[in-house]
Amino acid sequence: MAAETPLDRAAAVGPVPRVPHLGVAPRGWAQVQRRALRWGLAPALTVLALVTLAPAIWLIVSSLTPLTPTRPGSLDFSQPWQNYEQAFTSPEFVRSVWVQVKLSLVTVVLQLLIGLGIALLLERPSRLLETVRTGFLIPMVLPPIVVALIWKVLYTPAISPLHSLAAFFGVPFHSLIANADTAIWAVAVADTWEWFPFTMLMALAALQMVPKEPQEAARIDGASAIQLFWYVKLPYIRGTLVVAVLFRLIDSIKAFPLIYILTDGGPGGATEVTNYYAFVQTFNFAYWGYGAAIAMLLVAGVFILSLFISRAGGGMMIDE
Amino acid sequence: MNSRALGGWTRYTVAMALLGLVLSPALWLVLMSFRHNSDTMATALAFRPTLHNYAEAWTSEFANSFGHSVEASIGSTLCSLLVGVPAAYVLARWRFRGQHQVAMWILVTRMAPPIAFTIPFFLAYTYVGLIDTVAGLALIYVTFNLALVIWMMKGFFDAVPRSLEEAAWIDGAGVWGAFTRVTLPLAAPGLAATAILCFILSWNDFFFALILTRTEAMTAPVAIVNFMQYAGFEWGKIAAGGVSVMLPVLVFTVLVRRYLVSGLMAGGVKE
Repeated sequence: MAAETPLDRAAAVGPVPRVPHLGVAPRGWAQVQRRALRWGLAPALTVLALVTLAPAIWLIVSSLTPLTPTRPGSLDFSQPWQNYEQAFTSPEFVRSVWVQVKLSLVTVVLQLLIGLGIALLLERPSRLLETVRTGFLIPMVLPPIVVALIWKVLYTPAISPLHSLAAFFGVPFHSLIANADTAIWAVAVADTWEWFPFTMLMALAALQMVPKEPQEAARIDGASAIQLFWYVKLPYIRGTLVVAVLFRLIDSIKAFPLIYILTDGGPGGATEVTNYYAFVQTFNFAYWGYGAAIAMLLVAGVFILSLFISRAGGGMMIDE
Repeated sequence: MNSRALGGWTRYTVAMALLGLVLSPALWLVLMSFRHNSDTMATALAFRPTLHNYAEAWTSEFANSFGHSVEASIGSTLCSLLVGVPAAYVLARWRFRGQHQVAMWILVTRMAPPIAFTIPFFLAYTYVGLIDTVAGLALIYVTFNLALVIWMMKGFFDAVPRSLEEAAWIDGAGVWGAFTRVTLPLAAPGLAATAILCFILSWNDFFFALILTRTEAMTAPVAIVNFMQYAGFEWGKIAAGGVSVMLPVLVFTVLVRRYLVSGLMAGGVKE
């Protein structure tokens, strides 16, 4: 009790009905406070442990077994690495990783360019543009299943306005999602539509933080709009854009409803990303252990990307 | 694209045109939901609107599923707030060893692919009888809502000056007394925004509900997909279901648009 403040004393002598241990606590208010705060954190950490740590341990354990619910005794650790070996030698798994990489890169690049472009268009302070901004957010907040429905309609020739427009102009085309060469691009377009608002929102937030003085100075010196963007704004917003891209990369690994509704991973595995592959192996074929191993590999990928986020976020990391 | 290159009205016109283009796919679904069944194949813009599809959707099992969605989303939001808000306060006011590790843990929780949770949860739920229950669904939504609550609310508590709490302590309030009477009311707008974001995230879930429910606790998104399994796709009914599911989200988004960035980033960055 070296530095007892007036506050400590006031608290210690005041009527404090909520702190019954005050009399026996030798260190007084500071300790009472610590204990109270610990009780505030404990339930959250317990729940987090229950809903995240326990499943994580179970996932690791079951990924080392050929577990399948239909066969009792399949929780067997005699060949712990067989699922992982099987994954890396399975052409389907390797293909799913390539599909994933292709889809992730294409969508994230498109989302970055479109989001940034629209953010630059909307960045000026104005009531009208503010309303327009909210309008652009709609694709991102819609339930993913509704997004999938919207694009299912557009990609189904019999009811699609796109297909009837094309037919009207004399350039009819076949279903994009039923063709192995175009299916992944069709999914990429839908995914870009759904998520460009995210990069737009991040870019807008960053653009508003760019100080005005250097922009004024550049303008007075006669910088063109492109120069102003490239030399003045971009250096300020680069960090945020990197974080936005990483967030999108991570989320793109989880893509599910679009693929489930539009293509079901097909045709012939052309849109079967790794997440979808794990889903099919686990819940359609009941290879639980194998599915768990694939899920572990996905978690590892996500973890590595998360590390990059906290690195790239640098000073922005929330825990200071 | 500075103010000279793209001045006033040009900028507005381009922005509005782009917005129209971007939203047209969603508007098409809305239009479709008001078409007569015989018309769903037609793509003409002019048609006689009908509420028939909504009547069909809402007299099917979809109505019950909508109720399950509401229950699971509200239940999960309340649980996450109850547990997460005090924790957020502690993280905002207290430095301790391992804080960085806790932060990383929560971040990875938010990032982990749902399939990683689903496999263990499915087995555990089968064992304890939580498969196909609204309670089980609400619990698994806590996996992503809790992280969101902790990080969003921490930001709001950081913004409440400590001196106000200290004044309450001097007046004889305990740590949590001061928290509930002083800090929490000051962070009320943030609390509302956090609650709404939790609700939206739970409401939008499809993957967990698809795997962890069958009939008793089926949610609205899964019910819509079930419409698609009948032969000859009842597009009007599907569209009506889709519009019903997206309406609450649209309303809430307008309410919380200012907090969307921090909510979606949940822990990655401080704005």
